[in-house]
Amino acid sequence: MGLEILNVARSFGDRVALDGVSFDVAPGVLTGLLGPNGAGKTTLLRIMLGVFNPDRGEVRYDGRPVGEETRRRWGYMPQERGLYPGMPAGDQVVHFGRLHGLSRRDATRRARGLLEELGLDDRWADRTDRLSGGMQQRLQLATALVHDPAVIVLDEPFSGLDPVAVASLSGTLQQRARGGCIVLFSSHQLDLVQDLCEDIAMVDRGRTVLQGHVATLRASSGRRQLRLHVESPNRDWLLPYADVTVVSDEADQLRLAFPPGTDPLDLLDAARSAGRVVDFGLDLPTLSQLFLAAAGRTLDPAGVR
Amino acid sequence: MGTGWQGTRLVAQRGLVENVKSRSFKVVTGLLLLLSLAGVALPQILGKNGPTTYTLATAGKAPADVVATLDAAGKTADFHVKYVSRGDQDAVRQAVRDGHATAGLAGETLYASAKAGGSFPVVVAQVVVALQTSRRLAQAGLSPQQVADLQSVRPPQQVTVGRVKDEGRAGVGFGVGIVLYVAIIFAGTAIATAVAMEKSTGISEVLLATLRPSQVLLGTVLAVGTATLVQLLVLAAPLAVAVQITDNIGLPPVAAGDIALAVAWFALGFMLYAFLFAASGALINRITEVNSAILPVTMTLIIGYVLAVTVVTSDPGSGWSVAVSMFPLTAPLAMPTRWASGEVPIYQLLLAMALTAAAALLLVSLASSIYRRALLITGHRVRLREVIGGRAVS
Repeated sequence: MGLEILNVARSFGDRVALDGVSFDVAPGVLTGLLGPNGAGKTTLLRIMLGVFNPDRGEVRYDGRPVGEETRRRWGYMPQERGLYPGMPAGDQVVHFGRLHGLSRRDATRRARGLLEELGLDDRWADRTDRLSGGMQQRLQLATALVHDPAVIVLDEPFSGLDPVAVASLSGTLQQRARGGCIVLFSSHQLDLVQDLCEDIAMVDRGRTVLQGHVATLRASSGRRQLRLHVESPNRDWLLPYADVTVVSDEADQLRLAFPPGTDPLDLLDAARSAGRVVDFGLDLPTLSQLFLAAAGRTLDPAGVR
Repeated sequence: MGTGWQGTRLVAQRGLVENVKSRSFKVVTGLLLLLSLAGVALPQILGKNGPTTYTLATAGKAPADVVATLDAAGKTADFHVKYVSRGDQDAVRQAVRDGHATAGLAGETLYASAKAGGSFPVVVAQVVVALQTSRRLAQAGLSPQQVADLQSVRPPQQVTVGRVKDEGRAGVGFGVGIVLYVAIIFAGTAIATAVAMEKSTGISEVLLATLRPSQVLLGTVLAVGTATLVQLLVLAAPLAVAVQITDNIGLPPVAAGDIALAVAWFALGFMLYAFLFAASGALINRITEVNSAILPVTMTLIIGYVLAVTVVTSDPGSGWSVAVSMFPLTAPLAMPTRWASGEVPIYQLLLAMALTAAAALLLVSLASSIYRRALLITGHRVRLREVIGGRAVS
């Protein structure tokens, strides 16, 4: 079950956009395709949807190569809006439903249900170009979901959304995923989607650099940090821990990086013996930090984009 | 084919609905209807209605035999004669001079107007001569039968010889060329605009995730093509009705075969150029660039039309005419004109049609490839080199 991307490669002239990307997407969870701008995410999504053909490699669904008929049952929301400006909102959703093979009656029924779910039910007859940007975004989502696709692919769906819209969109997608859909979306804002996706595949320069369950990846990365506020300037208690490094040491916060073999509770005990611990916490690495480590890049001041 | 056709049909349906609902469609169709109605009504209002009427002035009452013979001639040659009598020769002369009569007959003199009259004075003169001749032949002792026999002698039938066999048919060929040219220019711009709109609004990418480019293109072309056909029918319907009812519009009589052929050429030529326009529309970045993007196609069309008109009408049988009527880009404009001249072997007609159809099919796949590549290049005008060769696509 699920979607497999197998060794997909694509070049445009001399420029290599994808250089053998492989990962799996499981149904039931939100999967993020993450990476900086220009990593090849959009090209990969377009290949999955059949907009481009790959130079090599293939996309498999339920163990079989994906053909035109299978793709017609998928839903796709591209990065750029793609709506007919002069068409009434409801008709638009019905039209795309029919393009995906629904009868007019089914398409109309589902379009009504979706617009209600997305809070657009009173906008059925309004011209699309009269809707606000946020509404058009939701309408675009409706056109991608109208035929109840088993596979939903979204290119940068969260970029440019306010926090309320992000929560609402991720809620809608979560619901589809819980219902057994495969949901894959791309993003370059790694830390924004850190809490939204359960699985990730990270790509950089056309290659997969990291993939798996977000919580597991963060917990097992070996890049956990212990954050302490100790009411004592004395750091002698750290001396027995030769493999623990001090990331930062400021007046109210000491940040320690420790290897996988070290128990952070031992460190905490050692600190408590030196002075009163006012505050403490165990920080998992952010997705940006994981990406930088996996891609072998150094942090540039603007962060990962 | 099943689902493939369904996708094309949905794209075409949507495009047609949007097209027909648009204000420009309503305005243009309304104007065409007015134009067509005017074309039918104006000749009726301005022109001469029914048979031509001539007026013959005579000194005293017109002689009965002259009246009888002239009326008989009028029946066969489709004219009607009105007779006015004047007191004397001077009065007859004055009536003709002042335009009260087309011709005047007084004694041995036939007055003809310097301004108008055409062949009527000649007809009157012939009638007078014929009557006089009959009378003298009878006086010379010939029987009425012999006189009638002599009078029935007719000059040999005159046949006009030209480069075309039938002016009426040639007119139809010429008309097809004009209509095709105008329809393609209008519809082509509409197709390029529709494709450019799909690109600039990002719909193309959503469509391409569901449909093949050929389905999208064919749907768009069919939508605009159907709308254009509706407009052509609006333009033609009043004329066709008028021809049926009054039979007096001055259109040449045309064989049904020529009309069917004209429609076939129209469909072929339309498809051929429609895909060229669609491909040009895919090259633009902003919708305002449509006009400059389609310029090469428009120029090809204009050159094709000029060639069809000048080369073919001057000599339908020349080598250049054959070449122009065979080359796919000019054939739809040139071949109907040439065919109507009546000098084209049937194999040439079929070959030209096959070549044009093949070229149209080739253009569908070429345009599809351009569409797929170009629609995903945004931010600048696409150069043809980028979409035909293996150049960069962002």
